[in-house]
Amino acid sequence: MTVFDNESTPMVTPSEVIEHVYCPRFTYYMNCLNIPQHEGLRYKVLKGRTLHEKRETANRDYLRKKLGCTDKDISVYLTSRNIGVRGMIDEVLYLSDNTLAPLDYKYAEYTDYTFETHRVQSTLYALLIMENYQKPVHKGFICYAKSENRIKEIVYTEKDFCYAKGAVREVFDVILRGYYPERTQWQNRCIDCCYRNICV
Amino acid sequence: MKAGDKLVWVIYDITENTKRTKVAKACKNKGLYRVQKSAFLGTLNKNQLDEFKVMCEDIISPDKDSVYIFPMCEDDFKKVKLLGQAFDRKLVTDEVKALFI
Repeated sequence: MTVFDNESTPMVTPSEVIEHVYCPRFTYYMNCLNIPQHEGLRYKVLKGRTLHEKRETANRDYLRKKLGCTDKDISVYLTSRNIGVRGMIDEVLYLSDNTLAPLDYKYAEYTDYTFETHRVQSTLYALLIMENYQKPVHKGFICYAKSENRIKEIVYTEKDFCYAKGAVREVFDVILRGYYPERTQWQNRCIDCCYRNICV
Repeated sequence: MKAGDKLVWVIYDITENTKRTKVAKACKNKGLYRVQKSAFLGTLNKNQLDEFKVMCEDIISPDKDSVYIFPMCEDDFKKVKLLGQAFDRKLVTDEVKALFI
């Protein structure tokens, strides 16, 4: 019998995981102390949400043939009890080589460097797709809306999957043990952090 | 100035009153100081600067209006010369005035 996920199943979202990768203290403030980020007050976050709303309604039948896409599912909600992750994937692409790939839209600018957070998020989506669709996922795509929807391809390695699973374990570790984790070693990240006033 | 902050000039030429007011309000909300009627000055970090750019893009009509955002280093700012009635001293706070001295 299939065991369905319910709201009380302990799971985290890929967004929570990438916030943890950015700085582990996000997990502590959000999940242990329940202090909200109020990210909705940030203009760029609101723009990103509008982008996602638009994407759900506009051009639904458009297939990215350049990527070898033959079909797609839009806004797919997937869960996995094994890795403890639940999340909404912007698009699941069916590729011509009989594999699947996640496509994630970002309201950000394209750079040659792939940010760790983007890579982890995409890898978690890949894990969710593999488990739920029972099909291989070798690569994923990120669409950068601020650079004329330029697409970046991410080819996953075994290391990426291990790292992403490890990050999820770390998040659960902080939540369950409730300890105050070390802050990120990159001080640049603290400059515009919403918790900078209370973080010591 | 805090670490990661940049000194920025914002100068605009906007035809419509409502849009001009919105850009001026956005400047004030970002903590910039009014130096002249259509010129603001202040410090912003990288993310605030990017956010401000996105906001202005959404407000203005790109075919009619213009908004210039000039980042400036502190060394160059100290070399700025002010002639005549360069800025309204009532509108500029002590923090920015101190940079001119």
